[in-house]
Amino acid sequence: MAKDDLSTPNEQKEYSRRDMLKMTALAGGGIALGASGFGTVLELLGNKNGEANAANQSTVPFFGNHQAGITTAHQNYGYLAAFDIDPSVHDAAKIMALFITWTRLAATLTQGKREVNSDNKELPPNDTNEARDLGAANLTITFGLGHSFFTKDGKDRFGVAAHMPKQLTAMPHIAHETLDPAISNGDLCVQVCADVQQVAFHALRNLIKEALGTANIRWMESGFLNAPKGQTPRNLFGFKDGTANVADSEDQKNVIWTGSDEPQWMRGGTYLGYRKIKMIIETWDRDSYSDQENVFGRKKNSGAPFGQRHEKDPVIMNKMPADAHVRLAHGTGKQIYRRAYSYTNGIQPQTGNLDAGLLFISYQNKPQDSFIPMLRLLGKSDALNEYTDHIATGLFAIPAGIKKNEYFAQHLFE
Amino acid sequence: MTNQKKIMFILLAALMLLPISACSSAQKSDGEKSAQTTADPVKQGTKKMQQINKNLQAALEKNDTAAIKKYGKQLNTQWLSYENGVRDRFPLQYAKIERYQQPIYAQSNLENPNAAQVKENSRALTDQLSDLLAAKETKAKPSKQMDQAVDDYLKYADEQIDQLVKTTKPFVQAVKDGDVEKAKKRYTLPRIYYERAEPIAESFGDLDPAIDARINDVETESDWSGFHEIERALWEKNSLKGQEKYADKLMADVLSLQKKAKSFKLTPKAMVAGAMELLEEAATSKITGEEERYSHTDLVDLQANVDGSKAVYQAAIPALIQGHKDLANQIDKQFQAFDKQMLKYKKSDTEYEDYTKLNKEQIREISNELSKLSKLMAQTAKIF
Repeated sequence: MAKDDLSTPNEQKEYSRRDMLKMTALAGGGIALGASGFGTVLELLGNKNGEANAANQSTVPFFGNHQAGITTAHQNYGYLAAFDIDPSVHDAAKIMALFITWTRLAATLTQGKREVNSDNKELPPNDTNEARDLGAANLTITFGLGHSFFTKDGKDRFGVAAHMPKQLTAMPHIAHETLDPAISNGDLCVQVCADVQQVAFHALRNLIKEALGTANIRWMESGFLNAPKGQTPRNLFGFKDGTANVADSEDQKNVIWTGSDEPQWMRGGTYLGYRKIKMIIETWDRDSYSDQENVFGRKKNSGAPFGQRHEKDPVIMNKMPADAHVRLAHGTGKQIYRRAYSYTNGIQPQTGNLDAGLLFISYQNKPQDSFIPMLRLLGKSDALNEYTDHIATGLFAIPAGIKKNEYFAQHLFE
Repeated sequence: MTNQKKIMFILLAALMLLPISACSSAQKSDGEKSAQTTADPVKQGTKKMQQINKNLQAALEKNDTAAIKKYGKQLNTQWLSYENGVRDRFPLQYAKIERYQQPIYAQSNLENPNAAQVKENSRALTDQLSDLLAAKETKAKPSKQMDQAVDDYLKYADEQIDQLVKTTKPFVQAVKDGDVEKAKKRYTLPRIYYERAEPIAESFGDLDPAIDARINDVETESDWSGFHEIERALWEKNSLKGQEKYADKLMADVLSLQKKAKSFKLTPKAMVAGAMELLEEAATSKITGEEERYSHTDLVDLQANVDGSKAVYQAAIPALIQGHKDLANQIDKQFQAFDKQMLKYKKSDTEYEDYTKLNKEQIREISNELSKLSKLMAQTAKIF
């Protein structure tokens, strides 16, 4: 351990021998060490002196019954990335080794710590260091598995196809979509969110670095979404996004978390539904205020449904135009839990129009009964389609939370 | 040390000593198990190699292309079946055998193998195989090993630079003769030798830019010289008018490089860093098609960069297998995976598929294999 990574003796007392044994056990994992065998040593000692910047220091527990980053209060920045298993990998052992490494890394980074560098200065550093002084900033890391992880070209890839989550399928074709396959789907997904973008990027970057050779990055998207505390954030259309999200834990159980109809290892998990929705911003901006409200079926400022006064008032369907976005979504009678981010990516060179939109992310326990039928209906009839283009898609199984001394998807393999 | 510090130290030490990864445990090397008995797998494997090499030579005598290809491939299969044992116990001999066996394999994958080249390598291989059969296991001291590694690598680099001089001459001649077609044909061969030994050239300040700068590397076009200036004349302008002075300068610079390289001293750390530089070169300017933007022969350079870094790895094997056997094994496999993938695009000794003919997925595939190689090679610094 390099000297400059050792903190004062005072801080070391924060960690008991027992804690360290636990961490060592985790790093060792149920099976052998990570594929690469390096970068296994954690920087155990967090920075306790930076309390001045209280917001950045706040952490979200990594271990728990459900994965963090789903019902966690919406952080300001988010990355969503998908990975493909390297073509040279054919056995589950290598994947398990990666998941152990990822778990160790995620458990470390989300608590505002980082991996320690080797004493051998000829080796590359283990941690990339750009988040060193920034704290955890409510960093969450959420892992998922795509349909193609289980089967590809009709083949059971890693001997776990029999345990595929019940509602996990390849995404069906939806009307009114122009998908780019290179930025859709994938074997694995990782959602990384934090209140400081640099902290989120640092986490994802280090996950990518460790995974290379076992799982390679397929695509990566980044987004932002800001709102005053306790208020529903607005998307780039200027409307509130996520008003109907359930806050009560009993409701969340019904909408988000999977139950006994799933294989044991998948219970207490959920599914991540993803659409990259490009907004035709200039057309929208030239549309009249009243028509914009008609497209949604809600008041632009207050978020109140037509015929009501407050954002959270119940939707009255027949007060809205037949093709209003909210009416159609509400009319399915199904609920999803939205956790979207907005994105911008410069301009489109051919037209000079803005390249911007929404990284639509929703969590639900029965995507085949909610997310997908909703997409189908909206794809056919939504008034919003005139201003949007769905350009990427994905559906991922998000297993239950990871318990201390366990690793991601352990019960799928063991 | 406080108590906590002590405990932490012990734990960390234990952690680092934990037996290697899951994927490696399946590949215990043959060499670990057996003493040198008659059933010694290295001896047995080498005898099989000798037999196949004899068959290959017979095929060469008869000029039987199909048989040359068959035995060239067989040699490779046989070598792969027991090379781990050789690498663990006879690292010096290992690198030498690889040096002659691999070009044979590369040729045997071509439609029309270069028989003269195969013959030369096959003859050299005969000697190396006999050496291996007679070799005794020796374990040099680590410091000696690294000195030996540097010597071996410098020998390799010298050979490449000698070949660079040898192949630049006819290229320069064709340019001065104004023979565009001939010059185009002779362009890639010196490029291969240059790209293999580039870290050496980079050590001599102005020589690398004078020989290898791309147009965007220089401030004004009048400062530009070297291979790529002539490359543009050949492929973009299709005319060699006014190129004589560049041809002369290139020859002079290459000769100056040869002279300087003879007395060049290298530290082990710089040698390993040079291998990383080569892979970075490949991963940045070659994989993007920027290096050979007029001739589109980027894949030739790319493979040459990887060859050059492989020479460093091979030189470092004796040091690497002391405590990092698993890493050596992984690197070895990844070089194989990389070379195998590049074979898809190889057309002849000096020709690979035109860079612009590759689609995005193919380029990403190569880039991915290259990244895997780089990641592993960065870990060779563990020997320090």
